[in-house]
Amino acid sequence: MSVGHVARAIEESGIPTVTIMVKAFEHRARELRIPRTLIVKHPMGRPLGAAGDAARQHEILDAAFDLAQSATENGTIIEFAAPFRPAPAHT
Amino acid sequence: MENNEPESLETFRTSFSYGTRNDLNFKFFKGLSDDEVASFLRTLLDELGGAYDTGNILPLIEAAYAAQVAGYTPAPDAPPPKHEYSSGPFTPLDIPLTKARVGLLTTSGHFLRDDDPRPFGETAMTQEEAVARISEFMASAPVLSEIPSSTPASELRVRHGGYDIRSAERDPNVTFPMERLREAHADGRIGEIADSYFSFPGATAQGRLRKVLPEWVERLHDQDIDLMLLVPV
Repeated sequence: MSVGHVARAIEESGIPTVTIMVKAFEHRARELRIPRTLIVKHPMGRPLGAAGDAARQHEILDAAFDLAQSATENGTIIEFAAPFRPAPAHT
Repeated sequence: MENNEPESLETFRTSFSYGTRNDLNFKFFKGLSDDEVASFLRTLLDELGGAYDTGNILPLIEAAYAAQVAGYTPAPDAPPPKHEYSSGPFTPLDIPLTKARVGLLTTSGHFLRDDDPRPFGETAMTQEEAVARISEFMASAPVLSEIPSSTPASELRVRHGGYDIRSAERDPNVTFPMERLREAHADGRIGEIADSYFSFPGATAQGRLRKVLPEWVERLHDQDIDLMLLVPV
């Protein structure tokens, strides 16, 4: 919930924000009208992906950057398509 | 158990949320019904049986993920949330990303090894202590840690009584993507990175958080940021 208040305050002050949030908290993005949210289908505590999975972490970052550029109104929510995966070294 | 009464399923499932079986990955059991937890455990064990031969744990991860989402998502008949808005602010990103200066703020509870925010005046509070004192965190004002964006990962520490930090300890980028932003900058995907990033443990008193936000926002403006990346945990 904290990030909702933070996002609103920063955005109100004139700095655009983009938030990366796990699916379990999607309702918070809606309730708090977070400006732009990238929902990731990851377990809580791993919003950017598994430890050591730099490739997936970059994909998530780029998806967030795309959302930052494409969103035209508050409350825009996009879901990152791929499910969570353990880091390649662990599979 | 102290007494000889059989433990109920309700007592069992709620014990994972800061109780006798505390497990921050499975505290969501509290948000499920007895039947839902029983069904999840049945599915998990069935998938484990399959994994004996295949070694494929993805079905277990998927089952745990689905149950976690169900555990946190409010039921349609749930009481209305405490904080809810029908509209919100929006500031367009008015420069190309390749020229934008990007900042980072996370609720992951990261801080510099040599700049521990010392919650409640404690020196070197452990993760276990933070978990045990979660109620105090939830009733206290948050402290924002400033972390230079050039900080080596080895200088970072993380502590947060609300989530399993093991992944973030192995790789801070999981909740504080500092190195990934540095690489995005080096690749030219973003124009610049801010001199400093910020983090605080998001398990905090919401009213007190809102009181300190104007000061935090001023600190962010000092960084001359064009786009702020936010990572809640």
